Amino acid sequence: MITAEKLSYTYPPTEPRDAATPPALFGVDLAIAQGAYVAIVGHNGSGKSTLARHMNALLAPTSGTMYIDGKNTADTHLLWEIRKTAGMVFQNPDNQLVATSVEEDVAFGPENLGLPSEEIRTRLNDALAAVGLSDFAQHAPSRLSGGQKQRVAIAGVFAMQPQILILDEPTAMLDPAGRREVMQTIAALNRTGITVVLITHFVEEAATADRIIVMHKGQVTMDGSALEIFAQPQKLVELGLALPTPIALAELLRKHGIAIAPNIITAADLLADTTLQLVITAGQIQNPVGCKLQPTEISAPVRQYAPANTGNALLELRNISHTYNRGTTFEITAIRDVSLTVHTGEILGIIGHTGSGKSTLIQHLNGLLTPTLGQIIPPLDAKTRRNVGLVFQYPEHQLFESTVYRDVAFGPTKMGLQGDALDTAIRHALTLVGLPDDTWERSPFALSGGQKRRAAIAGVLAMQPQILILDEPTAGLDPAGCKEILDLIAAMRHERAIVLVSHSMDEIARLCDSVVVMNHGEIALQGSPREVFAQQKQLENMGLDVPQITHIMSRLAEINPALPTDVLSLTEAANIIAGISEVSS
Amino acid sequence: MSRITLGQYYPANTLLHRLDPRVKLLAVVVFVTTLLFVSQWLGLAIAAVGLSLTIYFSRVPLGFLFRGLRMIFFVVGFAMLLNIFLTPGENVLFSIGFIHITTEGIYRAFLMASRLVLLVVGSSLLTLTTSPIKLTDGIEALLRPTPLPAHDIAIMMTIALRMIPTLAEETDKIMKAQKARGADFGGGPIKRVRAFLPIMVPLFVSAFKRADELATAMEARCYRGGEGRTKLSPLRMQPTDWAVLVIAVVFCAGLLLTRFV
Repeated sequence: MITAEKLSYTYPPTEPRDAATPPALFGVDLAIAQGAYVAIVGHNGSGKSTLARHMNALLAPTSGTMYIDGKNTADTHLLWEIRKTAGMVFQNPDNQLVATSVEEDVAFGPENLGLPSEEIRTRLNDALAAVGLSDFAQHAPSRLSGGQKQRVAIAGVFAMQPQILILDEPTAMLDPAGRREVMQTIAALNRTGITVVLITHFVEEAATADRIIVMHKGQVTMDGSALEIFAQPQKLVELGLALPTPIALAELLRKHGIAIAPNIITAADLLADTTLQLVITAGQIQNPVGCKLQPTEISAPVRQYAPANTGNALLELRNISHTYNRGTTFEITAIRDVSLTVHTGEILGIIGHTGSGKSTLIQHLNGLLTPTLGQIIPPLDAKTRRNVGLVFQYPEHQLFESTVYRDVAFGPTKMGLQGDALDTAIRHALTLVGLPDDTWERSPFALSGGQKRRAAIAGVLAMQPQILILDEPTAGLDPAGCKEILDLIAAMRHERAIVLVSHSMDEIARLCDSVVVMNHGEIALQGSPREVFAQQKQLENMGLDVPQITHIMSRLAEINPALPTDVLSLTEAANIIAGISEVSS
Repeated sequence: MSRITLGQYYPANTLLHRLDPRVKLLAVVVFVTTLLFVSQWLGLAIAAVGLSLTIYFSRVPLGFLFRGLRMIFFVVGFAMLLNIFLTPGENVLFSIGFIHITTEGIYRAFLMASRLVLLVVGSSLLTLTTSPIKLTDGIEALLRPTPLPAHDIAIMMTIALRMIPTLAEETDKIMKAQKARGADFGGGPIKRVRAFLPIMVPLFVSAFKRADELATAMEARCYRGGEGRTKLSPLRMQPTDWAVLVIAVVFCAGLLLTRFV
């Protein structure tokens, strides 16, 4: 179906002076069979998107050949045939929908193919049914959620009846619920016989594919089933990729001498493992039913974190409510009776599904919104507002100056800093975010994605806020970029309080001292990550996840109630299970 | 900003809403042109009655209709004043300095104002009863026989309609982000223009990126201009459409005849 032979591609230089751009793809040989479900993974710049663009003839090879269903992509006469055979879905749902209604958008492809109207109508209905959006035919795309938009994009390609569906990081910009929707849709389409090529940097998503291709520096470095790929954890880490949690846990348990079967990919596989089940059940025999084994008895290392709420209260919200469009028919109360306190030196996590009131809440913390009801202590005036820095989602979209240095200078200059004080503030911020000084005089638009984001964070840090609010700081970054930002957050905590809004429960579990869970505009849960994530059922009802490791341990606790349900890290989980295994043997 | 309503379409299921957009477009063009040639009160009165009936059939509430036209009525009022003050005439009612208010002036001002109001209400009825998608289809179909690039204009309109809410939302986000960095959007005009630089630059950068990605996505979906393209819902004239078109043309011809009464 898809065949690449010694495929190489070099992007034309953007500026004449950097004429020697390295090839984005180098000697790629590849064959993908009809009906396959293939994931292509790799860090940013590994060439995975470039490869995907060759499959849709958006790019033609510099050397070597690419055949789609026997058609050479370099043959411009076959361009439309190839694009009809291999449909492509892109990363940003907003930038690939053309029309002003869902049905008009799905019809766009078939219209381009010149099909008769009745045929377009049939295909449109089938495609919308296939992605589960039949009821949304008349909606405007701008009114849909990210996951729904991406499903519209998939329907738009599916309506052209392609044999291959290529998806270029389709979930990178979605929240967890949207991600699930899209992944389920892709799997369902694959079952109908369509070949799926999924480009992703989420290993958990790649693990669902029949075959994983790992790209590195424009070459295929690993190619095999999920089992074969994840059997080489060391190599994956070297390539800047993480291991999915179930596989990592299985690996750790094997090191503890528990002989977990080698074919573990998903959490379900691990939970069904007979050795593990034996260990867990044996633990139950040792401990009489009803006598709950305390985590301390199993000698689990308790996670070290600064005891919550010991620092000074920097900012306190007391019974805050906010109503938008008051007195009109559009009146809507976004948050209701919210109270919380931000202390020095703590990282406060805020979680909640899209539309739960998180963003309304954080805009109160620095006075962008004023509460309809309730009190903020100290009151936020023009001066005290500066103590609170707010970094929005995708902050790199606010960069505008000619150099990184000047962009970072914008905030502190507005604050009235001048001369040496200004220069010191800027340098300090840029150093803290880890931008090398040869980038300071470059245009912010010339930086890499991760660097741009760090420059934008520096722009807020330079205002020397005591409280730093970060809204989804890792959204859309690859694993290496995520790690950089998370390390940065951990490094910044010593000097200030941090409020972290995130969809990633693993990030929250790893970094936060306390967590606030928002649901329908109210605080549903509040406490340490352990306390909050132990409430798995309640979180699920709110459409939220728990960290994957907490999920696995909770499921094991269903077998053996002695097991704790508030486990937050891999090593902790492995030690607890290994502890039981020693007790029972 | 985020609650932007475009073309202020008022959804309902009336004959007027279901009418072929080409008929509505043609009727508006004919009506507007006719109004330019009607200079008697009788003609304008008949036009007003006809228009009122159409509004009644459209089920668009009067409040909704006039709320959208507030700014235009302000302009009409201003034009009226200019006419009253600056029209020379024999019957001077009142004069201060170089300003002479004449009966001719008042007569002309009112005539012009009623004509403008009819014109504006008539054409806004088009956008009120026609969804942007249908309007675009109608314009494309009417332009096809002309040398103008009908399909290109239509796809441009579609993309604009699709992208305006997205960009409005984005503007809102960028403004908030810069405000959080201490930007101040008040002050004098020059200060204000400079304050908008931190918004305009990111907005343009993003708009170009979006345009680029959208173009790629369209190509990936086999878009190659209007040639060989079919339509999900092609426009087909029904007997009702023809009937309405004939009635509109006859009505306007009647209006023109009032010139000779």
